[in-house]
Amino acid sequence: MINIIFKKPYKSLSVKLSLFLILLFTASSSLWSDSFFQASDSTIEITSESKTMEKGDELLLGINFKLSPGWHTYWKNPGDAGEGASITWQLPKGFKASAILWPGPEAIPVEPLMTFGYEDEITLLTKIRALDAAVFPATLKAKVSWYTCKDICVPQEANLELTIQNGKKLNTFFANELSAVFLDLPKKLPNKHRVEILDSNYFLQMELEGNTPVSSAYFFPEEYGLSSYSKEQVLEINKNSLSLQIPQSEVDLKLQNFAGVLLLDNQESRTFFNVNLDLNNNQKQESLSISDLVLTVIFAFIGGLILNAMPCVFPILSIKILNFVEQSEGSKEKMIQHGLSFSAGVLVTFLSIAGLLLLLKSGGESIGWGYQLQSPLMVTLLIYLFVGIGITFMSNLVLGGQLAQLGNINQGYGDITSSFLTGVLAVIVASPCTAPFMGSAVGIALLQPGLITIAIFVSLGMGFAAPYLILSFYPSLLRVLPKPGAWMETLKQFMAFPMWGSALWLTWVLSGQVQTDSVLMVLLGALFIALALWLLEKNQSSDGFVKWLSLSAVTLLLGAALWLAPTDYENAEQNKASDLNSYSPELLESLLAENKPVFLNFTADWCITCKVNEAIVLNQVSIKNALRSKNIVYLKADWTRKDETIANKLAEYGRTGVPLYLLYSSEGTPLILPELLTEDMLLSYIESIE
Amino acid sequence: MQYVISILLIIFLEISHANVQTEKPVPDFNLLNSFGEEVKLSEFRGQTVILEWTNHGCPFVAKHYKTNNMQNTQTAAKEANVVWLSIISSAPGTQGFVTNEEANELTKSRNAFPSHVLQDTEGSVGKAYGAKTTPHMYLIDKAGILKYQGAIDDAGGRGFMFKDLSEAKNYIISALIELNKGTEITDPITKPYGCSVKYKS
Repeated sequence: MINIIFKKPYKSLSVKLSLFLILLFTASSSLWSDSFFQASDSTIEITSESKTMEKGDELLLGINFKLSPGWHTYWKNPGDAGEGASITWQLPKGFKASAILWPGPEAIPVEPLMTFGYEDEITLLTKIRALDAAVFPATLKAKVSWYTCKDICVPQEANLELTIQNGKKLNTFFANELSAVFLDLPKKLPNKHRVEILDSNYFLQMELEGNTPVSSAYFFPEEYGLSSYSKEQVLEINKNSLSLQIPQSEVDLKLQNFAGVLLLDNQESRTFFNVNLDLNNNQKQESLSISDLVLTVIFAFIGGLILNAMPCVFPILSIKILNFVEQSEGSKEKMIQHGLSFSAGVLVTFLSIAGLLLLLKSGGESIGWGYQLQSPLMVTLLIYLFVGIGITFMSNLVLGGQLAQLGNINQGYGDITSSFLTGVLAVIVASPCTAPFMGSAVGIALLQPGLITIAIFVSLGMGFAAPYLILSFYPSLLRVLPKPGAWMETLKQFMAFPMWGSALWLTWVLSGQVQTDSVLMVLLGALFIALALWLLEKNQSSDGFVKWLSLSAVTLLLGAALWLAPTDYENAEQNKASDLNSYSPELLESLLAENKPVFLNFTADWCITCKVNEAIVLNQVSIKNALRSKNIVYLKADWTRKDETIANKLAEYGRTGVPLYLLYSSEGTPLILPELLTEDMLLSYIESIE
Repeated sequence: MQYVISILLIIFLEISHANVQTEKPVPDFNLLNSFGEEVKLSEFRGQTVILEWTNHGCPFVAKHYKTNNMQNTQTAAKEANVVWLSIISSAPGTQGFVTNEEANELTKSRNAFPSHVLQDTEGSVGKAYGAKTTPHMYLIDKAGILKYQGAIDDAGGRGFMFKDLSEAKNYIISALIELNKGTEITDPITKPYGCSVKYKS
């Protein structure tokens, strides 16, 4: 009976009366002694589904907190401040306790901060298991510490205990309540879900089956450093899916998992789900497959080898080797030592370049720059770079020719360290010729994860050092080496073609990102760069006014090329002026009449899901090119401003909102695609179109 | 290659500083200390500076002072010639708000020795630094670069009140040692723990 009294609105009782009741309570019920504790503005009580259990049984225990109005206590992640309760069990031999099973929390704002916890009343559950060694009666003791907070926090602690007798489990007064709390614990999320990162936000998206009513949603992160607690989360509900926008944490701890509890509220009930997604799998990094990687490494090695045949490097090769021979005074061992330390010097230099690049890249990624690597601006700059490299290969233009003279600096030092330094210098000395090559390596490496970048540069270095190393082992091979001569110039000129080939490939990439006009502008920019480099070459030896004039022309041309570069994605379909890809019922009809397949994208600027899909799927070059190769016409129905014809079309498919993706085959029957697109999924849909 | 790098650098300059970030310069501030004097952070350029957000009424802070954990950290800082600024961002009428006299009395009675106790009643500095809890610690190097932000030690987490703080790993002292040695800070960011800062709402 007394327990019932305590279940009732205890908060309203005066302290004196409650103290009296505690006395009465502890005095009158020996079985439940110390099962209850009164602290300021909170009371806690240990409850059990049964007072008896047998060996092998599992018993559900609860620590029940009742808080005065306005006070709260915390979840396992308290949010910006505070701390969740801790329960330390002291169990007799043969008993085992689970970790705390935490019910889903509430978001409790403490402006300008945000905390996660519980108000009014909460029961933290623990499962106790009796093993074979268990001895009854058993006294289960719990040391509990918790905070009761309002505008201020009060730390509390209590020692509670409960005695369990041997016997068949028998439901107590608390059994129903405990099992209700247990059933409400966060569950596995059955719906398909994923998380995407865009512009410092997580987008937690899940499919909704049937007409699951959801009126609000909130994500409680499990760990510090994942999401920002105080910033608002924005929910968008579509017909078959929802997207929850969760701002990333101001503190970037590079967590591997997106883990926490998702609250879905549908006015009548609140349900909590566990979410744990791997963030690495979700990163949109176009990483290479193993076979691609091996190929890249081999090509980098060959590239390194070719570096040796460049006009400003090749003569050094034989000089250096002759140096080794001289310094070794006929000792084969010393010769090999020189070769090895020279190679080490080369490798260290290449690795430093890779390190510098990675540093720049990570700096860039921390501001979300990784994403822009696929941007039209980056692609354009790479096109310019490759065109420029090709031109310099074809011409007699010498960039930074003075550097080559550095090669003589450390002649005369005879020891092994000097060979190492020679290795370092060789890379630097060779840079006037190798820089263009390095440029392409840098271009590729920037788009790859760190380890691949390092692999590329190590192979480049190994390729570069290989001839020296081999020759230091077998100096006699020196005789077989071709003499420096005109063939080197021919080789250099030939290398221009692969460079221009790369530029061509990049132009194809660009054509998937921007309109034809912009591609033409970029080609014009490339022409300007070619002209600028030609001017530079022609006036290499001129001086005075002529030099000044040519340099300003070069600057102007380079500036113009940069100015012509597109800065952002241009969805041709976004351009209302052209109207080419803008949806209208008439256009769709005429296209279908011509038996043309059509991809119809219903979108709006205010639709989060649409924007996520466009960024991670529809704007991908692979998708644009797949559509093109299948001759599928891309139509966009932009519903940013309400439009009667679009609304009618949506209604045809039972929709009152966007997104909606329709893929019409040439037969004219549309396939309704899922609301949460993925690149692979869309590609396979496109593939299936005849 | 220089071309690509210079483009990279241009993009770098566009980094915006929303919150204070480790390894980035910290914003300057100007506050009155408990003697009514103006104290400017940039005055200490050339010296290492520790910021401690505090609220004497907060049980977390109280435990750190009662066990001398905070004072011991202050001693270590003083010996390393480090400036220690205790900052109070409690709004008037909230817990932790003190008059200058009370602040000085607290320093005396707790045997604490901060270089200054600063009054941030508007909470503007606390918000600029993203101070969430008391205590919340920041370590700034001689060049004004943030080297550490977070908890004072690893005793946070559930059951804090039961823990023996002398057994905890003191992040501030470790970071000071590492900063002195010139090695990388092992834990540059940790989760701050404690009471919420009682900002003006």
